[in-house]
Amino acid sequence: MFLELNQIKKSFGKGDTHVEVLKGIDFSLEKGEFCVLLGPSGSGKSTLLNIIGGIDTADSGVITINGDSMSEMKEKQLTQYRRKHLGYIFQRYNLIPNLTVRENIEVGAYLSDKSLDVNEMIELLGLHKHRNKYPNQMSGGQQQRCAIGRALVKNPDILLCDEPTGALDSKTSREILKLIETINQTYKSTIIMVTHNDAIKDMADRIIKLKDGTIRKNYVNEQKLSAETIEL
Amino acid sequence: MKNPLNKRLFRELRADLGKYLVVFVVMVIIIGEGSGFLVAAHSMLKAYNDSFEKYDVEYGNFRISEKLSKSVIKAIENNEKVPVKLYENFYVEENIDNGSVLRTFINREEINRASIHKGRLPKEKGEIAIDRMYADNNKLKVGDTLSGENGSYKITGLIALSDYSTMFRSNDDIMFDAKKFGVATVSKDSFDEFPTHFYRYSYSWLYENEPADEKEETDMAEDLMKEISSLVTMEDFVPRYANQAIYFTGEDFSGDAVMIRVFVYIVIVILAFVFGIMINNTIQNEAENIGTLRASGYTRNEIIFHYMLPPLFVTFVSALIGNILGYTIMEKINSDLYYNSYSLPKYEKLFNPEAFFETTLIPVGLMIVITYFSLHKKLKISPLNFLRNDLSKKGRKRAFYLSRKIPFFTRFRMRVIFQNATNYIVLLFGLFFANFLLVFGLAFPALLDDYAAKTKDNMFSKYQYILQVPMDVLGADTKLKQMIAAMEYQGAVETENENAEKFTAYSLKTTEKNIKEESVSFYGIENNSKYVNLKLDDDDFYVSRAYAEKFKLKIGDMVTLKEEYANDKYTFKVTGIFDYMGSISAYMTKKAVNEKFDLGDSYFSGYFSDDEITDIDPKYISTVIDYESLTKVSRQLQISMGGFMVVVQYASMVIFMVLVYLLSKIIIEKNQTNISMAKILGYKNNEISSLYVHATSIMSVLFIIATIIITSEFVVEIFKVMIRLEMNGWFDIYVSNNIKLKMFVMGIVTYAIVALLEFRKVKKIPMSEALKSDG
Repeated sequence: MFLELNQIKKSFGKGDTHVEVLKGIDFSLEKGEFCVLLGPSGSGKSTLLNIIGGIDTADSGVITINGDSMSEMKEKQLTQYRRKHLGYIFQRYNLIPNLTVRENIEVGAYLSDKSLDVNEMIELLGLHKHRNKYPNQMSGGQQQRCAIGRALVKNPDILLCDEPTGALDSKTSREILKLIETINQTYKSTIIMVTHNDAIKDMADRIIKLKDGTIRKNYVNEQKLSAETIEL
Repeated sequence: MKNPLNKRLFRELRADLGKYLVVFVVMVIIIGEGSGFLVAAHSMLKAYNDSFEKYDVEYGNFRISEKLSKSVIKAIENNEKVPVKLYENFYVEENIDNGSVLRTFINREEINRASIHKGRLPKEKGEIAIDRMYADNNKLKVGDTLSGENGSYKITGLIALSDYSTMFRSNDDIMFDAKKFGVATVSKDSFDEFPTHFYRYSYSWLYENEPADEKEETDMAEDLMKEISSLVTMEDFVPRYANQAIYFTGEDFSGDAVMIRVFVYIVIVILAFVFGIMINNTIQNEAENIGTLRASGYTRNEIIFHYMLPPLFVTFVSALIGNILGYTIMEKINSDLYYNSYSLPKYEKLFNPEAFFETTLIPVGLMIVITYFSLHKKLKISPLNFLRNDLSKKGRKRAFYLSRKIPFFTRFRMRVIFQNATNYIVLLFGLFFANFLLVFGLAFPALLDDYAAKTKDNMFSKYQYILQVPMDVLGADTKLKQMIAAMEYQGAVETENENAEKFTAYSLKTTEKNIKEESVSFYGIENNSKYVNLKLDDDDFYVSRAYAEKFKLKIGDMVTLKEEYANDKYTFKVTGIFDYMGSISAYMTKKAVNEKFDLGDSYFSGYFSDDEITDIDPKYISTVIDYESLTKVSRQLQISMGGFMVVVQYASMVIFMVLVYLLSKIIIEKNQTNISMAKILGYKNNEISSLYVHATSIMSVLFIIATIIITSEFVVEIFKVMIRLEMNGWFDIYVSNNIKLKMFVMGIVTYAIVALLEFRKVKKIPMSEALKSDG
């Protein structure tokens, strides 16, 4: 297994405000698998994504990637782990406002010694025309493409997507999903996507449904659809 | 691959041009001035230090009432303890028509030689070379004619005498005066034409075996003094290390250099904190980007370095340009300032590695350390918290409770103040420094004016004549000789002037260890004196208020004083304090002084008089103390420090303005989205300004008042310590309410200009700001 999670637990607060957000999560993914994490607000899906991404820590449990355990990593090692293995895409694109599209993508490329070609990435994202624009000169969809480019250009082993289409209309959302699908197929990246949108699950290899901090369903999608055909 | 984030550098600078430009300008000025000052001081100090060897500056001098015989010279030169070589350094002093006194020597060839700034040394009779600074202050130039009581002279050259870098007429003077006193040289033939009663027989010496260090030099001088005292009676004995005319310049250079360094560092630290606040503000605005970068694998140090780049770049460029200005324009300005105060030899501008280190490397280092640590602390927050825009390290702070009885707008302003507490702390620190400079710049000249005015009001008489008492009167080889001398003297110094009142003048030195050694003038006054308003008994010992305050004396204290050129010590019990600030002086009856110092019943050595005394031979008059001579402290300080004080006033206003501007701008920018949202909700510009700008107004006014009160007290205490340690004399030191009011008004007007700019800024914030995505 490429990614394995074993009894991941996480809680917040103390006393009256104590909330157990993750109550022992177990699952594993193969390299290149596209996994969708579904669940209502407060189900713990973003927290789980953050723990996998090494920007939050579990109270207990073990995560291994390609045989390396994350549990004993200190902050510096976690940074190296993120640098080496992960790409992040957020609902709010978090692009750097005074860097151009191309430069924002270079921000990702700089981190990796096996980075993809920035020009090719710009072409793939359909941003060639906009490569010298600042983020605020572009639409939301274009900005999210740029954010995807920044995450992908470093050629990560795992791409973590936190509601990447949450702020987009359905047409733009489909474009973004098509792009993620292409990336998954082209670069064999493992993708974990958190979403509220039930329709997106149809394009995933694996679907994990969370509720109240536990996995309610974890199954392989036998009838996988393309991003083009899902009903958004 | 180069870090692409670095491409933001110039865009960041452009986006925040206003703030960076202001900081840049202040830094360039501060570093330029610091560097210019240190380069000038270093170069001039080098020339000054070299002058000791180059111009053969004496190890000391002594003065006697008549020319030494060859046998005495030989005895002094060949004394066993400290063999020396003596050089005649005779001079005459004459009153010049421009109201000054000129001390004229024969052209020096062997010792204390002159540096020629312009023209040449005099060769013929009637020619003279005068001190360059005296010439400047009295608007004299080569070719002009100078007239005095002994005739007229044609000025052939402007010079600097190596033993008169500072124009102290007497080593006991509180301050030098290069307008009313100057030095000059003439040819031997010219000098011989002066009437001999003008002659002052001064001898300079060089040691046969040079002292190894200061301690040895002091010991050698003390030994030499004993040797000379055993052979002749001296009127004056001044070793080089105690000669203000020689050492004052070097000390002043060093003292000023310390002040300038402290000034540069304080400003740099304040600016580093301003940068710290600017960076914090940027971090808050870019929290989610930072979170993304950290989540993507950027290390904390990479992010820290990225955010350090703009302030470091600005500091570096400022330091570079500051240094260029320092070595060119500022060096000239600073050396001119010194040339206005001191008579220095010509100097060559030298590269000063210390100045480069102190004005460039240290500021850059300070900036690196302060910005690094403020960023390091801030960036300890987890990437997740950055992504959530939760930048509080201690978790969410509970809202501070404010009663609903407080009007809404007031509560709102209080919240703005709490939110920006760090900004206000830096503002308080900066205002303290700015007001410290301002109170220094305003209070100092006012104190000098006040001193001059009080001196005029408190003078005992328009003229005080101190008589030149022949040595034989004080102690001759035989009692008979002494009596004859005393009778001759008394006959010669009697005056017909009915307003003249006799007194005995005497002088002793202080012995307190922690306060600079100083002469105490004793006044032995007549009972029922019409000039000194004191009723004294024979056992009374009053001290002037100046003396009491400087040496912290009160009634009942015992004071020990010593003879200047002997080991005799005297102890007195203070029986009263006389409200007089004109000098460090003590008051007893004439009878008591004459008895105490064994001077004889009828002895006197001075006159108080409101009219000029014209019927005493000038050779018996040592000094005339009048308003001009009493106020030379304030006059010289006005000349030498006046320009500097104006610079200090402007510097403080600029620092004040820059800080208030930057910090209030940051507060507005921090709340840009909130201000925009308030506009959307329907708040008017003046309502919004009354919330955000007035919060800073309230704090600024409070801080202005607080810092004026604190800095006034602080400066007074600093002045007192400085004068006790460094200067002769004393004067009333206080910051008047007028000055405090002036400072308050200056502060408020300065703030009002900034507030107006901020109001314009609030008006310009668009409503779309609140609706904008973060891009």
